[in-house]
Amino acid sequence: MAFGLLKYGLSRRRPVKRFLSARPELRPSYDVAIIGGGGHGLATAYYLAAKHGVRNVAVFDKGWLGGGNTGRNTAIIRSNYLTPEGVAFYEESMRLYRGLSEELDFNILYSERGHFTLAHSDAAMRTSRWRAEVNKHLGVDSEVVGREELARLVPLLNMSDEVRHPVLGALYHPPGALARHDAVAWAYAGRAQELGVEIHTETEVTGINVENGRVTGLETTRGPVACGKAMQAVAGLSGQVARLAGFTLPIRTVPLQACVSLPLKPFLDPIIVSGSLHVYISQSDRGELVMGGATDPYPRYQTSSTLDFMEGLMAHILELFPFMSDVPVLRQWAGMTDMTPDFAPVMGLTPVENYYIDSGWGTWGFKATPVCGNRMAELIATGRVPELIQSFHLDRFRDFSLMGEKGAASVGH
Amino acid sequence: MMERLPEPAGLLLDRSEPVAFSFEGRRYQGFRGDTVASALAANDVTVLSRSFKYHRARGIHSLSGLDANTLVQVGPAPNRFADREPLAAGLVVTGQNYWGTLRHDRMAVFGLLHRFFPAGFYYKAFYKPRWTWPLWARMIRRIAGLGSVDTAAPHGYFDKQYLFCDVLVVGGGAAGLAAASQAAAAGAEVVLVDENAALGGALLHGRFDAGGVRTADTRTALAGEVEADERISVMTETACLGWYADNWLPLVRGNRLYKLRTKALVVATGCLEQPLVFRNNDLPGVMLASAAQRLIKLYGVRPGRRAVVATASDDGYGAALDLLDAGVEVAAVVDLRTDAPRSGVGDALAARRVPVHAGAAPWEAVPQRKGPGIARVRVAKIVEDGVCAPTVDSFTCDLLVVSGGQAPAAALLRQAGAAIAYDSRRQTTRIDALPAGVFAAGGVVGAAGLDGVIADGRRAGWQAAAHAGLDAGPEPAAAPDGDAPATAKGVWPIFPHPDHKAFVDFDEDVQVHDLEDAIAEGYDHVELLKRFTTNGMGPSQGRHSSLNAVRVLARATARSVDETGATTVRQPIVPVTMGHLAGRSFEPVRYTAMHFRHLEAGATMMPAGLWLRPEYYGEPARRQALIREEAKNVRDNVGIIDVSTLGGLDVRGPDAAEFMNRMYTFAYLKQPVGRSRYVLMTDLGGVVVDDGVACRMHEDHFYVTATTSGVDNVYREMLWYNAQWRLKVDVSNVTAALAGVNIAGPNCRAVLETLCDDVDISPEGFPYMGVREGHVAGIPALFLRVGFVGELGYELHVPASQGEALWDALLEAGRAHGIRPFGVEAQRLLRLEKGHIIIGQDTDGLTTPHEADMAWALAKKKPFHVGIRSVRMQAEKGLTRRLVGFEMPGVGVEQPKECHLVIREGEITGRVTSVAYSPNLDRIIGLAYVAPDQGEPGTRIEIRVDGGRMVSATVAKLPFFDPDGARQEL
Amino acid sequence: MKIMPCPLNGPRNIQEFICAGPVEPHPDPSRCSDDEWAEFVWLEENLAGVVREWWCHAATSYWFIAERNTVTDEILATYPADRVFSERVDFAPLALPEPPAPPEPPKAPAPPPPAEAAADTPAGDAPSDDALPLAPKETGG
Repeated sequence: MAFGLLKYGLSRRRPVKRFLSARPELRPSYDVAIIGGGGHGLATAYYLAAKHGVRNVAVFDKGWLGGGNTGRNTAIIRSNYLTPEGVAFYEESMRLYRGLSEELDFNILYSERGHFTLAHSDAAMRTSRWRAEVNKHLGVDSEVVGREELARLVPLLNMSDEVRHPVLGALYHPPGALARHDAVAWAYAGRAQELGVEIHTETEVTGINVENGRVTGLETTRGPVACGKAMQAVAGLSGQVARLAGFTLPIRTVPLQACVSLPLKPFLDPIIVSGSLHVYISQSDRGELVMGGATDPYPRYQTSSTLDFMEGLMAHILELFPFMSDVPVLRQWAGMTDMTPDFAPVMGLTPVENYYIDSGWGTWGFKATPVCGNRMAELIATGRVPELIQSFHLDRFRDFSLMGEKGAASVGH
Repeated sequence: MMERLPEPAGLLLDRSEPVAFSFEGRRYQGFRGDTVASALAANDVTVLSRSFKYHRARGIHSLSGLDANTLVQVGPAPNRFADREPLAAGLVVTGQNYWGTLRHDRMAVFGLLHRFFPAGFYYKAFYKPRWTWPLWARMIRRIAGLGSVDTAAPHGYFDKQYLFCDVLVVGGGAAGLAAASQAAAAGAEVVLVDENAALGGALLHGRFDAGGVRTADTRTALAGEVEADERISVMTETACLGWYADNWLPLVRGNRLYKLRTKALVVATGCLEQPLVFRNNDLPGVMLASAAQRLIKLYGVRPGRRAVVATASDDGYGAALDLLDAGVEVAAVVDLRTDAPRSGVGDALAARRVPVHAGAAPWEAVPQRKGPGIARVRVAKIVEDGVCAPTVDSFTCDLLVVSGGQAPAAALLRQAGAAIAYDSRRQTTRIDALPAGVFAAGGVVGAAGLDGVIADGRRAGWQAAAHAGLDAGPEPAAAPDGDAPATAKGVWPIFPHPDHKAFVDFDEDVQVHDLEDAIAEGYDHVELLKRFTTNGMGPSQGRHSSLNAVRVLARATARSVDETGATTVRQPIVPVTMGHLAGRSFEPVRYTAMHFRHLEAGATMMPAGLWLRPEYYGEPARRQALIREEAKNVRDNVGIIDVSTLGGLDVRGPDAAEFMNRMYTFAYLKQPVGRSRYVLMTDLGGVVVDDGVACRMHEDHFYVTATTSGVDNVYREMLWYNAQWRLKVDVSNVTAALAGVNIAGPNCRAVLETLCDDVDISPEGFPYMGVREGHVAGIPALFLRVGFVGELGYELHVPASQGEALWDALLEAGRAHGIRPFGVEAQRLLRLEKGHIIIGQDTDGLTTPHEADMAWALAKKKPFHVGIRSVRMQAEKGLTRRLVGFEMPGVGVEQPKECHLVIREGEITGRVTSVAYSPNLDRIIGLAYVAPDQGEPGTRIEIRVDGGRMVSATVAKLPFFDPDGARQEL
Repeated sequence: MKIMPCPLNGPRNIQEFICAGPVEPHPDPSRCSDDEWAEFVWLEENLAGVVREWWCHAATSYWFIAERNTVTDEILATYPADRVFSERVDFAPLALPEPPAPPEPPKAPAPPPPAEAAADTPAGDAPSDDALPLAPKETGG
């Protein structure tokens, strides 16, 4: 039994120590202001304090800690991307994730499950092989498996030819993992606060002050603050906040929905994704099936749910797993995603000096949380763009140097 | 089996029809009309399930199909609410989440060790050292979950139906019945939905007067009125899953999902009775007052022998009277209030000499020594909110009936966007503002007293009918005064115990101190608290726990409940199976006119967009050989392929050529009539998205082909652009109107000669890239002389209705010339020999015309085509890759696969996009992206194949076969 | 499901429609600067509030304009496109210098590849995989 729990259980008075600090008073000035108290913003704050000694940092969020996409995503972590830049970036994220519970002294419930991207057509098989070959080239464990191998690895999968979209094979990524999304935010928040970072929740940033092309401070609903540097990490609202700083992004805000079933005894170990059918499904440690699909058909700043999403999603999931027709669905919800034209993030420098951006995460932001925080912190602290994130710069659109993730874009996250 | 109570108790039962079923392997009997839970209660089975975390025995709590206590496995179906599941003959029901037996669950040890498993315990342990966590994770997973999925279960049958109405009323209680009647009276088509088997809502089980006859009489009258009204469709045993935009409401009854659109919605969902929180408040035998009343009145089951009633309102008094009437001894009524106003039920109870302990609370339910139920209840005086005096009274009992007040069942209203506030005096939530088209009536909006509720229902029905555009007449009268009880001040219902086990959330075994600890740790926002403790995240979705958790949080942070906030109420309001949502599968498939000829010829079909196309003809075991034979026959004799799936667009009008010139990259203004020309389309970003040929039929008429999966987008884009340009041109998508056959091979002219008499198909009369109109075998046809496969060939486009006749005629006429059909695979090989690209296979999401070596298809001097500026800007930037042909020896080399990588000095420079062994050339040939400086023919490139081995290939000039095009221009 | 009041087909479920983004002027590709062009192609106003958008009824391929609030998801007005686009649009003759020669200009114009036939993704299960939808969707997660 873990020692901590034993101590907790045996003590007469429950030793409750405050882990997340109460919101402090706003100070007039910070070295670094981070807009957005989700995983990315909190991770950046933590790494600034822990790795770069930058501790006079404030994180602002208009809502509650991790209440945006950090608390709404389906927590899939993988690195089997298509472009070498993407693969290297997410592989570093997975490396950081694997050590995160220990580093932050908080169990984020990182759980390796194996990740299968199903292919239902020759075209999808080709894309799978493309990804597998790029992955292997960069040392990522990833392989195309055919029907027989897939049937052996995921015996529950419906391999019938009698369905509309028979499964031909899959891209298999054994390190594909799940983690507890909230825990990631809490752990970064708690440890950052221990190092002196202030977290101002329910404090909306309403203005960004720029003088001579350089950021000087923020206006918030609790008053103005001055800052030397600032970063935005506000998935879903990236365009709105960037406009406060005076520039425009190649981003559309599109809702993404998901749902969970009632808890079931474990029967589905791996994460199953089908790009052609626009579904993904995994079973959480609590036993709930966590399911999602395509982004909503039109952009909006809203997190309302739709019935047609559920109908389409379930029809496709039952094509893969017909025995699930009696499984009850418990709850559906939505988040707002930043969709970029090339399905790759926009991060790094901006037209405003000392103002940095972390955006465009589409439906894959959670899996990038540690590496994103880590490298954005490095950028903010040193002023130099780390090599790992160089290709994600905003200017790539100006010179048509788009990332190639679109080629396999809808194969699923 | 326990004797049921005499009628009128057991309203829903059909006592003439006994129903046998099994639970946990034992056989039991109930009646038709029972639910699984009521039948088990009638058989004295009190434990239905084990709780999620501590594996505590759980029994009936709300008896309304709304809490996790009754989740059971019914046959292959996991997590069914036993108090919602209708009893049916032969049902095999088991409990869930135990190891051993339901009565003796070895996992109950977690309950004894609960001190070591506080809320969120897993965040604080198990991760050091790192390697131990996967072992712990496996163990935690194994004990998580409730029901089990039967992975061998067949896909059940579910279907869907659309419904439309003027007014939808959700909730068939007094308010809903009155609303439905009133709306119907105004001429509205009404649908009335209720989740229970009978109309009446709380009138079915509640008791609002001392005599206990008023509810039944009112129910009979109101329900009779509704059932007699032909404008009202009544749907009982129907769950409303939620509210979606524009009054779109899914309803579930049986195995059908109804999707209903209503002009106006009346929400009359009443209230949810709330529990009391005290030590062991979750034991079997502790149930809500409404649950005990339901057992008695709906199912004729006596819920216990000796009861204590603990209540925060008059509701418990009514329940106590009902218990007495059912022959249950009521040891005491514990009223949390000190200043309860005098009421009819109170007086009646006093008359029956039931002792009432005012200002007191149940401090602890003491479990039986042996057995899962309660032995007695310890009751203490309330000193202040949530705090009791040390001295206690003790009452022996086997039933503890609790009523912690009512919370509006406002999920639908909240999803529709109603403004909700908390009334701190009455300790309950309140609806402040409703969106347009949504109305609320009765208990859900705080209407009180039976007359008040009915009048409120009539008012809402009237408003809804008026909103639906009906002449609803004058507003109905308000309720007469005097009926409504004085609105009492609410009381604090939470009594934590130093030894714990005071459960706020039964689903997740969240105790008061779990919440307090989490708040103290800093999880002090309502959402953080929910997520950290999982309070409200279980199957009941916080229906009985969220309000109490918010109260605990509000108190701990010295805020009001309103300031503390509430979590969002998501759809579905009640769980719905995946099968209901999925319904039947209606995935469209498109067949060409010749589809059945292909099947008759033994074709293996493959998907192409929505279509199916022949991959090859013959035995799958001989696939490779057949594909090669088909291809060879095209080169040696003649073959035909069904190209009906190809998109066809008719572009007509004085500006047709100008329009083509704008949509495609090539030049079309001077294209001669009777000639075809290649078309290439780029998007705004300059990426290649489609290709085909444009046939100039007349000066002002082009017939354009597009790719099978691209045509719909191309057509839409064309219309979109012209909605802005306003050129004089009209575009139609004629894909489905035409069937197409490509006949190719050296003998094809000989075949056509026997079938055509009005088209000169001589080389001089009909040159390469020519277009003609005429007849084949008497069928009107468009002739395109093309050469995708690199042979003399014609594409024949005919009315779809004639496709099969054309196919038959060609095969018949070609018999003497060695004709045979060929499939997509043979065609892919043949076109690869010619170096022709397939959009989507040899191009990807970023491919520009220059990268695809198609700069020849860009008109140099025109001012515009879609994406022109992007194409030019990227060309100026220089290439980063280019598509080239490559070849390898036919023997002794491992053939690469499509998407194997081209590697140079450890760097990826490209990938193979198409590759095949050409029997014709006895070489492996393919297309690949390579670095710009690897594009010269003769350059050696290295390709990494399966297993990481490297193979060498040589960049080759395209096309591989017949470079001068002599064969196709024959 | 939301209802879209289509100017041609009347009120229909919004599932039948395709949203193609804001109505915005297309710069003349021969006259604008590189930056103007790149901004037009890639940047998004992405307004939180009332936007004027292109919508298409898929079944009838009918294009029209809708005014919609992207925060409340209310559709405020819909009307035919000719209310905004009433004049013929023409593009000026080419003002730019000729583009640079492609890396390996074909000596003679290569024979135009003939009709497609297989020239469509044989399994283009758009909008996924390699097939390139004009408005690609992303599977989340």
